[in-house]
Amino acid sequence: MAEEAIRIESVTKRFGDFVAVDDVDISIAQGEFFSLLGPSGCGKTTTLRMLAGFEVPTEGRILLEGDPVENVPPHRRNVNMVFQSYALFEHLDVENNIAFGLKRKKVAKDEIKSRVTEALELVDLSAKSGARPNELSGGQRQRVALARALVNRPRVLLLDEPLGALDLKLRRQMQIELKEIQREVGITFVYVTHDQEEALSMSDRIAVMSDGRVAQCGPPEEIYEHPTEEFVAGFIGISNLLQGRVESGNRVRIGDDCLEVPDLGDGHGEGETVQIAVRPEKVAVDEVGGEPYRVEPDMFTVEGEIESKVYLGVGNQLTLKLGDGSRLVALEQATYRMKADEQWEVGQRVTIGWHPEHCMILS
Amino acid sequence: MDPALDRGEGLSSKRFWDWFIFPGGIWIALLFAIPLFLVLALSFGHVDDFGRGVYGFSMDNYKDVFDSTYVPVLVRSVGYALATVILCLLVGYPVAYFIARFGGKYRYVLLAALVIPFFVNYLVRTYAWVALLADQGLVNNLLVDWGLTQEPIQMINTPFAVIGGLVYGYIIFMILPLYGSIERMDPSVVEAGKDLYGSPLQTFLHVTLPATQAGILAGCVLVFLPAVGDFVSAQLLGGPDTYMVGNLIQDQFFAASNWPFGSALTVVMMLFLAVWMVFYLRRASKGEAEVL
Ligand SMILES: Nc1ncnc2c1ncn2[C@@H]1O[C@H](COP(=O)(O)OP(=O)(O)OP(=O)(O)O)[C@@H](O)[C@H]1O
Ligand SMILES: [Mg+2]
Repeated sequence: MAEEAIRIESVTKRFGDFVAVDDVDISIAQGEFFSLLGPSGCGKTTTLRMLAGFEVPTEGRILLEGDPVENVPPHRRNVNMVFQSYALFEHLDVENNIAFGLKRKKVAKDEIKSRVTEALELVDLSAKSGARPNELSGGQRQRVALARALVNRPRVLLLDEPLGALDLKLRRQMQIELKEIQREVGITFVYVTHDQEEALSMSDRIAVMSDGRVAQCGPPEEIYEHPTEEFVAGFIGISNLLQGRVESGNRVRIGDDCLEVPDLGDGHGEGETVQIAVRPEKVAVDEVGGEPYRVEPDMFTVEGEIESKVYLGVGNQLTLKLGDGSRLVALEQATYRMKADEQWEVGQRVTIGWHPEHCMILS
Repeated sequence: MDPALDRGEGLSSKRFWDWFIFPGGIWIALLFAIPLFLVLALSFGHVDDFGRGVYGFSMDNYKDVFDSTYVPVLVRSVGYALATVILCLLVGYPVAYFIARFGGKYRYVLLAALVIPFFVNYLVRTYAWVALLADQGLVNNLLVDWGLTQEPIQMINTPFAVIGGLVYGYIIFMILPLYGSIERMDPSVVEAGKDLYGSPLQTFLHVTLPATQAGILAGCVLVFLPAVGDFVSAQLLGGPDTYMVGNLIQDQFFAASNWPFGSALTVVMMLFLAVWMVFYLRRASKGEAEVL
């Protein structure tokens, strides 16, 4: 692993009796795009604010490039923050907003000028350098906030839901731009979001938080494909959860059928009930009695019927009801192979299948 | 065309509501506009042999206003009012800041505690200061009793007492607009200032003050306007050396009985205040000042 930029060591933050951040350990490498992902109130902002210096941890240590900083005030930390509300200085024009940090650091005048120009180019706002913040659009304000932080060349950039206030289209566009900028400047980004898609598409690594603790930390693929607990599986995308009972070996009984999983994981004894999760896009559906079309021979299969169907454009989302009353969601991508007149009907009997290796066993 | 006029009932109901302007309009005309006009008219007049005001067309009264006898009083009034504004700002800003940022759920209780005394008549409140500051007043008695001074300290009849009275009298007009603008300020802007390497002092000067300048401007104008025309504080807490233009005007109408000169002073005063008022309203209409 590259050199460590941030280390959060057994950090707990309490507000009175309320535990906002609960014994968190995170290590972030130099140049990494690291996301804190989790539902509202799980402690993402509090964690970020402790990195910025606005909150002091109740317990534990925070190290920036090896130096403990728990008690260093924000203006002496070489990190900068992009606030969710942007927090632009309304009385200053774009140029002076961006120059604010450099002026406080007493950087020489001509250097300020060249660095501000550079930052304006980076965020593509050179034409707006004389505008007041209230004359800018939401996306432009966002970019000023970004430039205002980046111009200081901090060791770490902290971003608290920086795209939260933008509409979906602009959000997607800014996600790509942000990622490009991060690659260009090579600064460590700590990015707070509650949007799982955003976290998956942008991050090198993600820490999924729940109730103040880190539920799982790892690269996006790992978080998505191998969630270690039900919370993570449910928070990242839709997950189908089925009850199963462990039988001998790696076999799990679901209803009347037996599923042989490649790896059950440790510590699951015979007769134990486990949760089995499978992603909707991994579920194949075929008409009963028809020619096998999507369901493959080595798949685990069950029978069920279509309970409802949602047309998504790029495909269909089917809710399937199994014999024991449990439900599964299947996401069926439209492909070039799909017959034009092919349509599912509610109530239709179907064969449902998935590859055993796509099962996730949750503790 | 007004869409309301297209509808049959729109016309009559609009007319109906228009009538409501009359009671207030008449009230203002009778008790405000006409007296004002009389003052203006009288200011060009003179006093007859019996000391009664007589209308006329002379500028003599206006010349007298800028006579060397009275100019010091005008300058003093403006000076006291400015001192009052500065003191109100220095005292009021921390108070408003504290309540707005740290008052929490007690914010409104604290504000009420500040506002309620101002429902007591200004004159009565100023008398309370007389009781405190007089040579035999509470403060001096305590100082002498505790042996901190031998003789009572002269506090009343000094400029400090007059300015103190003005500050006390009008500080709420500073605190309320300041409170409004501080409370409305996004706290994350202050954090952004600190995050961008601003020390607490720098952040205050470069972020908090500019972000609340609308409230500062409003507070300064709202304190300055009544303070510069005040006569109560100087009358009760001051002496002849601390007379303000308000006292001068009052004297012309009551003691000296020179109504035309008093009227001229009043007109000059109002013009002076109107300039400030227009300045303030123009800033306010541009959204740069707090409107109360
Ligand atoms: N200053 C504070 N005093 C008391 N409680 C606080 C304070 N700041 C945060 N909390 C509490 O700590 C918990 C975590 O807050 P935090 O702001 O970190 O959540 P979050 O994960 O950022 O949520 P969101 O996605 O809604 O922004 C919340 O329950 C919140 O009420
Ligand atoms: Mg938050």
